[in-house]
Amino acid sequence: MEIRVKRSEFLNELAPMQGIVERRTTIPVLSHILLRGEADQLHLAATDLDVSLTTSCLAEVEGAGGIAVQARKFLEIIRAVVGEEVRLILEDDKRLTIVAGKSRFKINGLSPADFPTLPDVGDHDGTEIPFAQLKAMIGKIIFAVSSEESRFQLNGALFKLKEDSLEMVATDGHRLALVENILEGAKVEDGVLVPRKALQELLRFEGEDKVLFRRGEHHLSFRLGRREMICRILEGTFPDYERVIAKDNDKQAIFDRRNLTDAIQRVALLTGDRARAVSLQFDTERLVISAANPDLGEAAEEVTCEYGGDELRLGVNPDYMVQFLSAMETEKVTLEMKDENTQCIGVPVEGQDRRYLCVIMPMRI
Amino acid sequence: MTTIQILDDRLISQIAAGEVVERPASVVKELVENAIDAGARSIRVELEAGGKRSIRVVDDGLGMDRSDALLAFDRHATSKISSFDDLQGVGSLGFRGEALAAIAAVARVELVTATEPGDGHRIRIDGGHIRSAEPTAHPRGTSIEVRSLFFNVPARRKFLKTVRTELRRATEVVQGYALSRPEIGFSLSHEGRTLLEAAPAGDDLEAARRRIGELFGAPAAQNLVDFCQQGPGGERLWGFVGDRKQGRGRRIFTFVNRRLLRDRTVMAAFYRTVRETWRSEDFPALFLFMDIPPAEVDVNVHPQKAEVRFRDGRFFGRLSSCLREALERARGEEPAPLAETTSLPGALLAWQGLGQRSGSPFGGSAGRVGSSEVRELDGSLSSEPAGKLADVVFAPLERSTVPLSGRSGEPRPFRLLGQYKGTLILLEGPDGLYLIDQHVAHERVLYERFRCQLVETVVRSQRLLEPILLELAPAEALRLAELASDLERLGFSLSEMSGNVVAITATPAVLTPGLAEEMLASLASEPGDREEAAEDLKGRLLEALAASQSCRTAVKMHHPLSAEEMESLVAELFAAEQPFACPHGRPIVLKMADIELERRFGRR
Repeated sequence: MEIRVKRSEFLNELAPMQGIVERRTTIPVLSHILLRGEADQLHLAATDLDVSLTTSCLAEVEGAGGIAVQARKFLEIIRAVVGEEVRLILEDDKRLTIVAGKSRFKINGLSPADFPTLPDVGDHDGTEIPFAQLKAMIGKIIFAVSSEESRFQLNGALFKLKEDSLEMVATDGHRLALVENILEGAKVEDGVLVPRKALQELLRFEGEDKVLFRRGEHHLSFRLGRREMICRILEGTFPDYERVIAKDNDKQAIFDRRNLTDAIQRVALLTGDRARAVSLQFDTERLVISAANPDLGEAAEEVTCEYGGDELRLGVNPDYMVQFLSAMETEKVTLEMKDENTQCIGVPVEGQDRRYLCVIMPMRI
Repeated sequence: MTTIQILDDRLISQIAAGEVVERPASVVKELVENAIDAGARSIRVELEAGGKRSIRVVDDGLGMDRSDALLAFDRHATSKISSFDDLQGVGSLGFRGEALAAIAAVARVELVTATEPGDGHRIRIDGGHIRSAEPTAHPRGTSIEVRSLFFNVPARRKFLKTVRTELRRATEVVQGYALSRPEIGFSLSHEGRTLLEAAPAGDDLEAARRRIGELFGAPAAQNLVDFCQQGPGGERLWGFVGDRKQGRGRRIFTFVNRRLLRDRTVMAAFYRTVRETWRSEDFPALFLFMDIPPAEVDVNVHPQKAEVRFRDGRFFGRLSSCLREALERARGEEPAPLAETTSLPGALLAWQGLGQRSGSPFGGSAGRVGSSEVRELDGSLSSEPAGKLADVVFAPLERSTVPLSGRSGEPRPFRLLGQYKGTLILLEGPDGLYLIDQHVAHERVLYERFRCQLVETVVRSQRLLEPILLELAPAEALRLAELASDLERLGFSLSEMSGNVVAITATPAVLTPGLAEEMLASLASEPGDREEAAEDLKGRLLEALAASQSCRTAVKMHHPLSAEEMESLVAELFAAEQPFACPHGRPIVLKMADIELERRFGRR
């Protein structure tokens, strides 16, 4: 069989596959992508068994058939060759000839029969989420997803559909980020845990359209245009986050977000590699950020703010602060505190989200 | 009918007398053993002030009649043996016959016992003197209350620890018997609060598993792989190993004839078998029951019966193979912990792994803070005669030497030969060729630097959004409570929840929450007393921090070094407290001895 496809279009679909395939896998076929020609479409699929991505592009197809090829090498070839069109000639299901411009490659592949069957979420009704909104929301919480494998239930974010809104929550046990936005037509559903890798892949989607979000028994599907990502639902109990978020923080400081971010970043230059901490000392109308490290030395910077509460000093991890502050887009940010032992909550001032906050637990320093 | 007899003098002398009563836990142990030996189906232990104020043990066993009950308090009165031949075949737990008498001599004891319901007797003894003995109504069985332990021995009273410590020790005793006797119901309460409760379950593997679940929480019991093997010596080895890797010392319980024992040789056999089978330093949970014909085992080595001697030397071979088989099955359910390690070819065996983690004399506590084992290079496993790298004075070589001065200030005549593939530093030593892994050597050097700094700095503590709940066995929860103030200083905050759940509310900032949880769980289950545990914890914490720091900044493999760089690295390495193993436990220095080289070239 033979498939003819436009190189630029093909590359566009091929590139996102790289994020899915396992680089260091013990199962060889997982470092491959599946190519399958059918009617006027070239279908592509990649999976690491947890997250799968399928897509397609228009093609001229003679015959039918497919092959699994080593993902990285294949992409390198398609990137490197010249010419507008790529011809893929399948001699049998283990050998593929690529012809483009004046180049000709014969590469070894694996039979499509060896490629894992991709999960199916079934015929469930879905919810449509504008992609721009989905992407913005993920960006606002993904930094708080835990990367600690032993606490697997925190290795993802909670997606919760409410009446006419969508909420996302992530936490690593030290901090928690929550964003909620209006989503017309959404119906209340139990929350579902979306693994980190799926979130990362969603951020790479492109387009202006709406993403169709569907939920099966064990898998979730996100479809945008030709692309569909299917991921395994992360099993586990997510913390009861509403109970965790303090309601009695009585001190407020309002900052210019950029000034605060930059100042923390500068002071954090003098914190070590691990157990990083800066001290935040609130006083009338000002905040003094300081850090001390026995190896490096000390740093301090004063930032003006709207603050009328009592003097308060608390320690925080500067990375937690900066990641949150950088995920916001508003000009001003409010930090709400109670004392040095309890959580500090950051909230944008006049943000577009229905609700956005980040809880950061303090450190004793 | 009298079942208790006075032992004859010959027998008395054959039994080494020992201090039976040391602390409340030893009283609990004796009383629980008596209850088990009396055939109790259910044993209730009630303590006050960690047992210092009161210990009450109630059983539904055989009970005693009046004369037995009175006689029970005589030294060497026992119903369990009457001749030396019996001693050879002790099948019951207690036999010394000195326990009750010894307890009665140092406390106020009230014994109520009945062989038939209603036909009971109450006997009161204060400091060894019988105060009263009268008939009373009591259900079948014995209840004995020991109050004011050491009321008449102030010197001993002073040596008692805090309520928490004594309570934890007593709890460990009850927990041990509860584990080994699933057919008996146990309950333990302290000042009205129930710490442990286990219903009688039966006497098979499944019952034992259920019992483990009752004590340690159901998830802990689910992941256990069982084993049972009948040995040719008439012994039966059975129990469970964990399938998940857990930190060292985590829930390792060994029993000989249902008596909880931490016999060093048995433990060593287990550790060795895990290392060989799993190629790992992470030891799984172990519940090992060794039911051995009494004649094959000597429990009379130690007054507290905390050590045993096995008559058959081949016993350990059978134990290891039994454990190996179980560990292999346990491993089958999880991915291989390490990349395939092929066994060393013969030629490589000549390379002595100085500081190789297993088997080397410094292996056991590789990198542990304050380890003094470093200098003990004369380990039994090295094929070389004793040669202390750090201390031995060698005749100076004529060639120029690297100015490597060790702690002792003596120059060591090593000559730098160069670098091998940008990875190893080669040294000519007085007695052989030395290879140093530059990356791990640098790691070790940085680690020691960090450690020095860390001792002075305050540990930063990160509060947790939501407490991590640790479900522990009663004794484990008590141990953490005991350590609370030390833990606080190291950046942990704990609070006790209901039951045996401990809530972690803050952890040292250097640890991820999961790591902190793991560290505390393993600490809780480790034997030993508060002081060692606190030291150990501090060491591990520093190690976790320093190891992660130093690994990242250390010079990498395949990085060419100048002669000066190499010299300074080697000099600093040899000045380090632990020059032979990196903080992760990998060897740093390998030595090929002259003798071995000569042998290989056929000159010897």
